[in-house]
Amino acid sequence: MTDLELILQTVLNSLIASSFTAIFAVGLVLIFGIMQIVNFAHGALYMVGAYATWYLYAEVGLPFFASIVLATLLTMAIGLLMERALFRPMRGNLFGGLIVSVGMMFVLEVLVVYLFGQGLMKNMTPYFKESWHAFGIESVTISHSRLFVFAIAAFILVTFWLFMSRTRLGWAMRACAQNPEAAALQGIGIGKISMLAMAISAAMAGMGGAVMSPLVRITPQMGHPVLVTAFIVMIVGGMGSIEGALIAAVAYSFFHTFVTTYIGGEIATILGLALMLLVLIVKPTGIMGARESV
Amino acid sequence: MKSSITRRKFMAATGGVAAGLTALGATPSKVFAGEKTVKIGFLAALTGDAAGWGLPGLYGVEIWAEQINAAGGLEMGGEKYMVEIISYDDEFDAVKATVGAKKLLFEDEVSIVLMLGVTPVLAVKDFMTRNKMLTTTLVPTDISADAPYLFAPVEVHPFYNVTAVDYIARNMPHIKTAAIATQNDELGLSSLATYRAAFEVAGIEIIEENLFGFEVTDFAPVVSKLIAANPDVITWDTAYPDYVNLLTEQAFLQGYKGQFVNCTLDQYDHILSKTSVEFLEGFLWQFPDLDDPIMQGPDTHFDNAAAFYKTYAERYPGAWTAVSWEYAAALEMWRAAVAAAGTFDPPTVAEQLRTLSPVPHAFGDAEWWGEQFFGVNSAALGKWPVVQMQNGKAVIVEMGDVRAWCDQHLDVLKKHFVELGVPLAG
Repeated sequence: MTDLELILQTVLNSLIASSFTAIFAVGLVLIFGIMQIVNFAHGALYMVGAYATWYLYAEVGLPFFASIVLATLLTMAIGLLMERALFRPMRGNLFGGLIVSVGMMFVLEVLVVYLFGQGLMKNMTPYFKESWHAFGIESVTISHSRLFVFAIAAFILVTFWLFMSRTRLGWAMRACAQNPEAAALQGIGIGKISMLAMAISAAMAGMGGAVMSPLVRITPQMGHPVLVTAFIVMIVGGMGSIEGALIAAVAYSFFHTFVTTYIGGEIATILGLALMLLVLIVKPTGIMGARESV
Repeated sequence: MKSSITRRKFMAATGGVAAGLTALGATPSKVFAGEKTVKIGFLAALTGDAAGWGLPGLYGVEIWAEQINAAGGLEMGGEKYMVEIISYDDEFDAVKATVGAKKLLFEDEVSIVLMLGVTPVLAVKDFMTRNKMLTTTLVPTDISADAPYLFAPVEVHPFYNVTAVDYIARNMPHIKTAAIATQNDELGLSSLATYRAAFEVAGIEIIEENLFGFEVTDFAPVVSKLIAANPDVITWDTAYPDYVNLLTEQAFLQGYKGQFVNCTLDQYDHILSKTSVEFLEGFLWQFPDLDDPIMQGPDTHFDNAAAFYKTYAERYPGAWTAVSWEYAAALEMWRAAVAAAGTFDPPTVAEQLRTLSPVPHAFGDAEWWGEQFFGVNSAALGKWPVVQMQNGKAVIVEMGDVRAWCDQHLDVLKKHFVELGVPLAG
């Protein structure tokens, strides 16, 4: 593999990482924007999506795509339950919301341990086992499983963008994020918008876990490192800014993947955090925080 | 794919639940009212990253105990004792290991404690020594002169890794370059030092190394960089079982076509299902299936090895790992020492264990070794198998002589341990 081929390979790896990080972080940012809650259980929803897919596909024997849909619906349902029972009473209470979301994270993690045990990694044979030789170059490859992640993430993000910018519900969500009281005076049901936001956010996390499940370690704690990355992206992008989260997700993923490839994984994480600190020093509101929110 | 949630799996999962909920849940095996029992402590990771080297070992120990009990019990001083296994999950964590050790000694009053090694062992070593408790580790770098009751009776990790590299040097002369990736922890570093030494002795140049942290979730960039260096052989060193699984899969997906040599290839059926028989053909590692014909031969010391493997495979399909038999093998050795000592008293049995010569190691006769390296001869060193993937099955291709290699190249080994800052004694 030549130097140029390694760069191409790393660009492809970065694109895949960006797409997944973006759908995960956007879901997190959405909840913060609408409900002012830092949802620590977002990583656990991702984990539930992965476990549900593994169980339905590898253990029960359902088709892979049906497993993904069911896993997404399951996490959506859990998200709705969380919104109604936990987050709605804590709306606007940053600290309270944080505490209940941490509690929910532990509940979900213990629940999967209860159901499926812990110890050995849950194995699943990937639905896609082939790779694509990018640009016709033999040594630059990307697996079909990763291309699938990219395609799903792109579809979700485009659909979400269209929803937010072209539909009345999307406008209502933006209005709730900008000024809940004014939105309520205009007749927008804050509760319904919160439920919708939570359903979308949980579905994004769950589907992320579902499509990533053949590629990662399926363990009860698998959401932790992903959540840390999403927090970095959220802070760098600007708290509550979806556009900022998208830009930060791509920038961070490219940065992290290139540093991991050329220097090392540990250094990549340290430098990633240093990058976050640098952005906060130069622009404390994050990339898009001051100009625009959801 | 059909549903495979069986009653047994459910029971196993419930065991995991207990550990997860209570962090330190004791899971004693059956207690036989009115019968004399001897208690054996098992203190290793049953959850977390290192669980792949703890939980499968507990399964093996339980099978061993069942076989002993089914045969009437363990004989000592002319009497039969039922074996009771008491396990605690240390989560590969020093604090939890300390709590577990205290419970095993003061509440359960066990006769021996079986441990995985490194952090948890180092945390309890002084405590075990003060209380004269016979303890075993799978990592000989844990042993030291100030811990006379701590033995590495089975596994001489990472030293046996030299045998597969030595095999490559003698049988694959086209291999001139190597690349290494592993996690940056005690297990990874001590193994890296050993691979560096083995490759140096074999005349193979290391052209790429990558130490990654536990936060890595995407191994694609790690593997891309390794493959970009065009190595003739790749090793994942002593990466955790889950990492080996994902790293190997990545190498497959990214089109790597060279040789592999590795410490472990745990649950290789799963890796085969993710890659292909052709891709894994020739993969070299260090841990055999115990149904291998060589393990049934007169030169090895693991009674009913094939039967043990068969029971294990039937009861825990796909769960066989490097350690599945190792804790049980340590108990086989302990059993021999108990029979000779005529007591379960830990310090007396430890003294008896040390006098065994040759040491009846599962892979053949060994001797206590380690004084030049660790200051004490408490590691059983002898032969160790080189295992190769052949048509989707692990096959022992030769029994390498670890002791001879170490005696000949100790200086090289020490040099790399010092260079990486890995302590020579625990």
